[in-house]
Amino acid sequence: MKRMNFYFSTKLTFDDYVHDHSFALRIMPPESTSQHILSCSLNISPYVPTQQTVDAFGNNVTAGYLRDDHRYLDFEIKGTAEVDSVKHRTDYMPCYLYQSEYTAPDDELRKFYAELKDRYIGSVSDRVAFFSDILSDIIDYKKGVTDISTTAAQAFELKAGVCQDFSHILISLLRMDGIAARYIAGLAFCDGETHSWVEYWTGDHWEGIDPANNCAVNDDYLVISQGRDFRDCAIDRGVMFGKYTKQLQLVRSVLS
Amino acid sequence: MTQLMQEQCTKAVGNADEINELLRRYGVKFGIYKNGVFNEQFFPFDPIPRVISAEDFKSIEKGLVQRVNALNEFLFDIYHEKKIVRDGIIPEDFIYISKGYLAQCEGITPKNKVYSHISGIDLVQAKDGEWYILEDNLRIPSGASYPLIARELTRIAAPQAFRENDIVDNRNYAKLLKETMENANCGGIRAILTPGRYNAAYFEHSYLAEHTGSVLVQNDELFVEDNILYHRTYSGGKTRIGVLYRRIADEYLDPLNFLPESLIGIPNLMEVYRSGNVGIINAPGNGVADDKGIYYFVPKMIKYYLDEEPILHNAPTYLPFYEDDMKYVLDNLEKLVIKDVAEAGGYGVVFGNDLTKEKLEEFRRTIIAEPRRFIAQEVIDFLDLPILDNGETVMRKADLRAFVLTGEITKVWASGLTRFSRNPDSFVVNSSQGGGFKDTWVLSR
Repeated sequence: MKRMNFYFSTKLTFDDYVHDHSFALRIMPPESTSQHILSCSLNISPYVPTQQTVDAFGNNVTAGYLRDDHRYLDFEIKGTAEVDSVKHRTDYMPCYLYQSEYTAPDDELRKFYAELKDRYIGSVSDRVAFFSDILSDIIDYKKGVTDISTTAAQAFELKAGVCQDFSHILISLLRMDGIAARYIAGLAFCDGETHSWVEYWTGDHWEGIDPANNCAVNDDYLVISQGRDFRDCAIDRGVMFGKYTKQLQLVRSVLS
Repeated sequence: MTQLMQEQCTKAVGNADEINELLRRYGVKFGIYKNGVFNEQFFPFDPIPRVISAEDFKSIEKGLVQRVNALNEFLFDIYHEKKIVRDGIIPEDFIYISKGYLAQCEGITPKNKVYSHISGIDLVQAKDGEWYILEDNLRIPSGASYPLIARELTRIAAPQAFRENDIVDNRNYAKLLKETMENANCGGIRAILTPGRYNAAYFEHSYLAEHTGSVLVQNDELFVEDNILYHRTYSGGKTRIGVLYRRIADEYLDPLNFLPESLIGIPNLMEVYRSGNVGIINAPGNGVADDKGIYYFVPKMIKYYLDEEPILHNAPTYLPFYEDDMKYVLDNLEKLVIKDVAEAGGYGVVFGNDLTKEKLEEFRRTIIAEPRRFIAQEVIDFLDLPILDNGETVMRKADLRAFVLTGEITKVWASGLTRFSRNPDSFVVNSSQGGGFKDTWVLSR
């Protein structure tokens, strides 16, 4: 068990005024068997009233609507949590066994799996570790070659990507293998932005693995959200109106 | 049909051109996209009504109420405990591979547990008089306004037919719809959401809004604030919407929950809905229950949830997903009708006997490669109905879309949309495939 302070902020800056801006944030870490949230505060600037709901995947959703003209939207969370990664979550959903938009394999990825699948026989956890080992051998951790819309198949073709891409490829392989797997967005001591990893279903509970670092998940990881893939876990999603709204996003996260 | 009724119909027939002219002037059209080009087509009206006897309608009515109640139970179960899967009645794959299943809807309970408020159930009557269910439409079934307006016009053209026969008045559809909307209302005004002027069913949206006393809205007039759905008023104020009869597909409904590129949706609508602050008609996620693959299991649902024998039968259906069915389908392909489960509106329907030997062989390979994608059905020998073709009475294939509305209880509208194929060799009656429609008279005794 580990107690940690967390901090996360995002600054969205627009080139020109925007209005009628609806947004949904998934940034409040959920209370669960493996993490206890002692305190958590959210600040949004400019001031806007928000409402909290919980979505189908168990994520805290903060929704808001800024009608008036504005040129930026900043939000930050800070708080304290106790993480106990030996206590496992059991909130299973059958949809995690099926491929989703970002994880659907193409022929190449299917072929890769077909060649791999009989090379190792073992428990679910052993197979997951085996797939993760292989990925860390053949996929380069590299920033700037992929973006938030890159699918597992595309990243696999590039043989490069960031944590999000490692997660999507591993989830795709596990689902082909008949192992339910889900995407996790969160904060980790190893990363200055948000991090992503994978949870797989052992048949009894969820177990975490970090494919980008090829290691098991321990008390250094704070879950913010989970879902079928990145799409269900986007930190912020918004729709706004304006003339010319190129936006700049700055993200910072600290665990201590 | 009685002798008297026949005579009166013939009189009405004399007015066919007049009625079609009136329909044109009313703007009774449907839109259709072909190769990316939008066209509005006139939906041709045939003046010879289909007549359903009181006795026949009674049994159809009971069967439809039973079916829709079971489908509503199924939707609640799938988005909550999934008992029907756990008990092995429906294989898990059929639920989660279905494009209509929306994981985002897990755990949501709409007001009064109604998911399919307006169900459009397509039936055909076989030559032996038996009625069969062809498909369930539980998302946004359209077409109710056509028989409504046709009735208004035939009443003008042939008033004596309605005075002298016991025809159930069908002009209560708007009242039924209003009741259904009110049962789903979470506090506020009623609104009908249309994607706009260029939608295939725009005529119907405006017609229903007018007749139910709902506001007809487009997405840019709506917004979510404080977890409430509001209609922006002209004066800059806002009015709370309690129930939204949306005529746009699930995936476009909320860009922050579904397709982010949707320009016709309402951001955060799903959060309002999940919180029980607005009713959505029909519930998002219903596609999992009207999937052509799930159709096969509806009789099993009726037994499972209601512990009753199905009153109305499915057309004999085979699922290539099951080994025995696959063998039967491959062996009998030339006499079956094959439907692509992902398609709607009469698209993706192939009759085996229309295919050449090579095409049949090719199709067999497709089915083997993607067994989950297709269902196969025996071709039902439909009862032909008379239609008027250039002054002559000819016989054509026809079906019936029954409208079943679930408010406090489930009710069947004593009318429906009878669609027919204008092509003598075709079984496909969809308006998008060039069919026409006629009024449906349900007799009260």
